[in-house]
Amino acid sequence: MDPSGIFFTSHARDRALVRTKRQAATLALLIAALVIAPLVLSDRWVSLGYAMFITMIAVIGLQICTGYAGQVNLGQSAFMGVGAYGCALLLHYPQVPIILALLLGGAAAALFGALFGLTAARIKGFYLALTTIAAQAIFQFLVLNLPGDWLGGAGGLHLENLELLGVNLGNDRALYWLSLATLLVMTGGAFGIVRSRHGRSFEAVRDDDVAAGMMGINVAAAKARAFLVAAFYAGIAGGLWVIALRHVSVEQFTLFNSIWMIAMMIVGGLGSIVGALIGTVLIQLAREGVVSLGPQLVDLIPSAGQDIVFASMNVLLGTIIVLFLLFEPKGVMHRIEIGKRAYRLWPFPY
Amino acid sequence: MKTLKAFCSGAALACSLFGAALPARAETVYQVPSLSDFSGPFASVMPLFAGAREAVVSWWNIEKGAQLGVKLELKPYDTHYDTAQTASLWPGILSTTKPIIGLSLGGPDTTALQQRLPNDKVPMILGSASNGFAWRPNQWILSTRPTFVHEIGAFVEWFQKTKVGGTRPVKIAMFTSEASPSYADMGKGVAAYAKANSKIADLVEMVYVEPQPADLTLQLRRVLNNGAELILAPASIQQAIAIKRAMQALGKNVPIVFNAHNSLSVLEKPMGGLVPLEGDYEAHALVVTGADDSEARRFYDLLVAKHGLKAPWHTFTGMGIGQTLVLVRAVEAAAIKHGGNKLTGELVYKTLVDTRFPAKSFYGFSGGDIDFSVEAPFPLRDPRINVGQVVGGKIRTVASAVPVPQLAKW
Repeated sequence: MDPSGIFFTSHARDRALVRTKRQAATLALLIAALVIAPLVLSDRWVSLGYAMFITMIAVIGLQICTGYAGQVNLGQSAFMGVGAYGCALLLHYPQVPIILALLLGGAAAALFGALFGLTAARIKGFYLALTTIAAQAIFQFLVLNLPGDWLGGAGGLHLENLELLGVNLGNDRALYWLSLATLLVMTGGAFGIVRSRHGRSFEAVRDDDVAAGMMGINVAAAKARAFLVAAFYAGIAGGLWVIALRHVSVEQFTLFNSIWMIAMMIVGGLGSIVGALIGTVLIQLAREGVVSLGPQLVDLIPSAGQDIVFASMNVLLGTIIVLFLLFEPKGVMHRIEIGKRAYRLWPFPY
Repeated sequence: MKTLKAFCSGAALACSLFGAALPARAETVYQVPSLSDFSGPFASVMPLFAGAREAVVSWWNIEKGAQLGVKLELKPYDTHYDTAQTASLWPGILSTTKPIIGLSLGGPDTTALQQRLPNDKVPMILGSASNGFAWRPNQWILSTRPTFVHEIGAFVEWFQKTKVGGTRPVKIAMFTSEASPSYADMGKGVAAYAKANSKIADLVEMVYVEPQPADLTLQLRRVLNNGAELILAPASIQQAIAIKRAMQALGKNVPIVFNAHNSLSVLEKPMGGLVPLEGDYEAHALVVTGADDSEARRFYDLLVAKHGLKAPWHTFTGMGIGQTLVLVRAVEAAAIKHGGNKLTGELVYKTLVDTRFPAKSFYGFSGGDIDFSVEAPFPLRDPRINVGQVVGGKIRTVASAVPVPQLAKW
């Protein structure tokens, strides 16, 4: 819903993502603030920033698959792993540009993900969830059992210092800007997808796949595409992750990570790209908050003991998430939308 | 003139009195990040680790640090044993504590930090055994113990010589898992060891099972029927328990050897005491926390009496003490060499790889001397292990400083 008094006179304006000058200015300010943030923030915030951006990319992918297309996906972490390995393998060749390695890593993950999308054509719900868990098992089994000189076996793959446009990516600030730029492109792409005919077919399949089929949507293809897109996003995130750590091994991509991503998506709000971003920020900040608060409390109350303090911090984190889901099960975006609508209608009640 | 003289002598007296009131040397404080896991898989044993780390640092600050003008302050950070958490925490730790050395807990720390620590110039000390896949040169996360496979190899050779007579290979079977890189590496490494040392060990079967199996009776029956006379159980605690229960169910008494993380003292509680474990072993390059009156036990008692250690006499307490002793000895050696107020991470790392730390400086909490090098992230030169066994319902050290075999990378 647009603010009162805003009317568009062309179809292009009516379809625009950024609808008013004020929105455009706000978005530009936000992006500018994010770009200059590493120049004023501490190293801790910079590293937290790029970790968040990378996670956001994977969660946006998950949002498209689960939030928009309604396909339960517990394999997002494994897809991220495939992208990470793909990117790391390519970056062993110095002549391969980083951007190309990222894209091809994403493509490898997308292919792997599409395989699971095909199974979604036949099964749904809990059965599909179980199948995507298999992605996790297959990924781990393949990495550990393929010849060690292919994927590095249990030890994983190591990368030495990487450079992009002459900038050393061993630097946290450079990683921040690379991740931010990638996130902006991927977020723009996600909005494009969900507003396209593919996005509408995802939503139709999510709401009622039988009806969607009767309307002429190729349901199996739509489901496979949803997984393909989700895995591509995860693959790009995995590629960025391996560039940040310069090391990839199988234990970095666990089922537990997939579950955290689902938590981020639910907290942000299902079926919203901005929700995926907000959910990731909230969960990551809450996790970092309890991790940072712990050592300070240990210093402040040494008699409490490290184990009590740190354990309490995690109970606090769990409680925050549970309370949040109890009071706003539709996610933060739902609450934001209600607030926005009320503000735009004010002083009228509806 | 008289007034000037009186002023000067008064000033000199005041300076000397003020100087006498100061400690012998001003202390330089170094913060030591202590990566911990109070909410992940190590949550139940982390209090033992953390207490041990704190107590050793407290002891060292008083006994050695004060003389060297160095004070260490542990700063605990809960990483949840998670790579992403460690990776995002580390730059903040680096900027706020400016560490010259740190304490690591295990795999996720290594994964997150191994590529950046040489640039950050911060060495870290790890208390667990290393893995074959970590065997790379120029690593800055240094494990105080060799690889699990080195420890197993040392035990098998000791067993073959002392229990089988050294005349024929001992028939071994091992249980491990493919679910974790570390467990899979143990399997590959022991298989490679047995293949290269066929006169010492005859590998009946490498049994890959779930890390948390419900029952292993069938698998154990198979390997016992094939003549296994020693069962290796270095992987998870749950596997160790399942193997022992299967042994009881089959009514057999073939010895089982465990490692440190699933040691006899760890298994005592879930097995309902030490009696069911009679005759079984633990083998690792750490102290055997048994009933013996040992130097290690006396050092532990000192930490309890004077440095507030509350953790029980347990393998994980020993692991924390051993790990932190290596850290303080490295700082100590670097401070003696370069001066307590001039320490950097690079100097401490150089000291770690250039110095052979004698076993006596670890009060029995290591297998033997600790001699790091740039070739491997663990002591490769003459590492040793200790062997514990349940004898008469008590854990006893039955062999100390057992040499570790030279192994090729697998």
